[in-house]
Amino acid sequence: MRVDDLSVSFRAYAGLVKAVRGVSFHLDKGETLAIVGESGSGKSVTMKAILGILPKNGRIDSGSIIYDGQDLAKFTEQEFYQIRGKKISLVFQDPLSALNPIMIVGKQITEALTLSLGMSKERAKVRALELMNAVGIPDCETRFHQYPFQFSGGMRQRVVIAIALASDPEILICDEPTTALDVTIQARILELIKEIKAQRGLSIIFITHDLGVVANMADRIAVMYAGKIVEMGTSDDIFYRPVHPYTWALLSSIPDLDTKEALVSIPGTTPDMIHLPPGDAFSPRNKYAVALDFEREPPMFRVSDTHCAATWLLHPNAPKVEMPELLANRIRRNAEERIADER
Amino acid sequence: MLITLFIIVTIGFMVIRLMPGNTMYADDPDMSAAQIEVLRAKYHLDKPVPVQYVIFLRGLLLEGDWGTSISLYVGVPVWDVLKAKIPVSMYNNIVSLMISLPLGILSGVIAAIRKNTIVDYATSFAVVIFISVPSFIFATLLQYFAAFKWRLFPIIYDASATGAGKLHSLLLPILALSFSPIARVTRYLRAELAETINSDFMLLARTKGLTETQATLRHGIRNSLVPLANVVIPMFTHIMSGSLVIERIFSIPGMGGLMVSSINAPDYPLTLAILIFYSLVSLVTVLVVDLAYGVIDPRIRIGGRNIE
Ligand SMILES: Nc1ncnc2c1ncn2[C@@H]1O[C@H](COP(=O)(O)OP(=O)(O)O)[C@@H](O)[C@H]1O
Ligand SMILES: [Mg+2]
Repeated sequence: MRVDDLSVSFRAYAGLVKAVRGVSFHLDKGETLAIVGESGSGKSVTMKAILGILPKNGRIDSGSIIYDGQDLAKFTEQEFYQIRGKKISLVFQDPLSALNPIMIVGKQITEALTLSLGMSKERAKVRALELMNAVGIPDCETRFHQYPFQFSGGMRQRVVIAIALASDPEILICDEPTTALDVTIQARILELIKEIKAQRGLSIIFITHDLGVVANMADRIAVMYAGKIVEMGTSDDIFYRPVHPYTWALLSSIPDLDTKEALVSIPGTTPDMIHLPPGDAFSPRNKYAVALDFEREPPMFRVSDTHCAATWLLHPNAPKVEMPELLANRIRRNAEERIADER
Repeated sequence: MLITLFIIVTIGFMVIRLMPGNTMYADDPDMSAAQIEVLRAKYHLDKPVPVQYVIFLRGLLLEGDWGTSISLYVGVPVWDVLKAKIPVSMYNNIVSLMISLPLGILSGVIAAIRKNTIVDYATSFAVVIFISVPSFIFATLLQYFAAFKWRLFPIIYDASATGAGKLHSLLLPILALSFSPIARVTRYLRAELAETINSDFMLLARTKGLTETQATLRHGIRNSLVPLANVVIPMFTHIMSGSLVIERIFSIPGMGGLMVSSINAPDYPLTLAILIFYSLVSLVTVLVVDLAYGVIDPRIRIGGRNIE
């Protein structure tokens, strides 16, 4: 799948909300792409555009979403029925609100099979039990007939994953699948996602606001800010060779258990998506901003074959700026640990 | 519920008996003082109100005796009077409720699905009209046009009709009664469903491959029906009170006419019995709705037995 220059906006009372502004990325077969950014940076909106489930006041302004030779950005609701669930599935952030509170979970799983694939009730039930087993729900036969409120948060998320897997999709989009869960449950759900990915050869888009979550998971990472991708590269590029000040800030805000350094939070708040500042949207919060940042938006600069970033700091004429020392030290430590681990 | 009923009976009795004009028969020029004395003694009107209350309550509880009509149907037991009127009124009210719910649900669903289109605006406009104009206005209009001008329906109730004929002769009053409840259900369901449609589980239903219609029918509507049970109670009492007036307009021999004339007579045992009857019906409605909750909402049915 390849997304090119995708822009999405919403009509709202206060004006036009430019939630996604020219996002491009690609997802190879069998890979995990993580999209990371603060809340409100347009991650969910991008995914909703891919699945054709934007709210009624939202619109794709430009760009293309090429999947299997077809442009999903131009699909009608009718055409999406062949894509949703069957080719691309979504795992929601909050498993409680994502499940129908008054329908037994078994039926919520089989529904996808009977209604949209035309499977018989009996076969659908067998398949649903298999799926529940595969996502680690114990005692499936009993659980099949229970309602969502009888499940714990982690179990509910397993149900949502089972639903997403029901029609054997090729791409699984996980929109902050662990944000609503306890830390211990989080780790288990991440483990489960890795496991099913390996078993089924899925491609995964993993969305999170927490870089720490994707460290052991993503092949490539895209960092998003105010509706744009500001840095994209392999997991190693982002964790060991970050170049964008926003990525630096995100990395510095991951707690480090070894050193007990004070957490560095990012100053300021995310910009108003209706009246965006001119130039780079991050510049008002960026202590490394150069004058040009306040006037013109930086283009994507290539760092390497796999790595690119949108910051004027990469311009040949820009002043040489190093990442914060605290972060540089931490990266060095992590790299050393990793080499030690590998031995 | 029994306590509620007891309180209603007590307060009802006191209020009705303490109303001015309780010196029953006192000013009847056709009767001698001795006759009046005998009658007042017969109906215990000569005793203090608390004593009358005890006598009434004992009769009601021990013998199911609602008392005797003292001026409208002199000497006839109150229960026999009510027995003839209740079916007529309840027929109207229940048929009205039965057509209001499905029609209101249907138009509410349509308005919600077509939200912010001309269909929705037209529905909202009609809803405002039907809620704010009282039912007796519609009754009069229907009576004038449908019955008097176009002669589609009888102008007043035809007591001899049965079966389909009965429904035909009661259709106008039932219709007049139903406009407002239909509008209420429509408004409520439109708001509920419009909100449910935006919920995450509707999105999930669509991402797993259901069409928008399938998602709305299977997930949207049933969820928005749960809180609807709440409005059924006030709606039914609203229908019953509207019915009191409508019955007079169409000369239907039901509880409505009886209540008004019993107050005017005055025939206090009758008034009291009608009051108790309506309280009882309201309480039963509350009970039925509570039970219905358990059927439509598993969280209430299985609630508490939470596993894990
Ligand atoms: N239906 C909507 N109407 C108007 N604005 C919206 C709507 N949905 C999302 N937005 C805006 O789009 C931006 C991106 O939202 P979202 O993609 O949900 O962020 P996140 O990265 O946290 O998932 C936010 O600024 C949000 O206010
Ligand atoms: Mg989001």
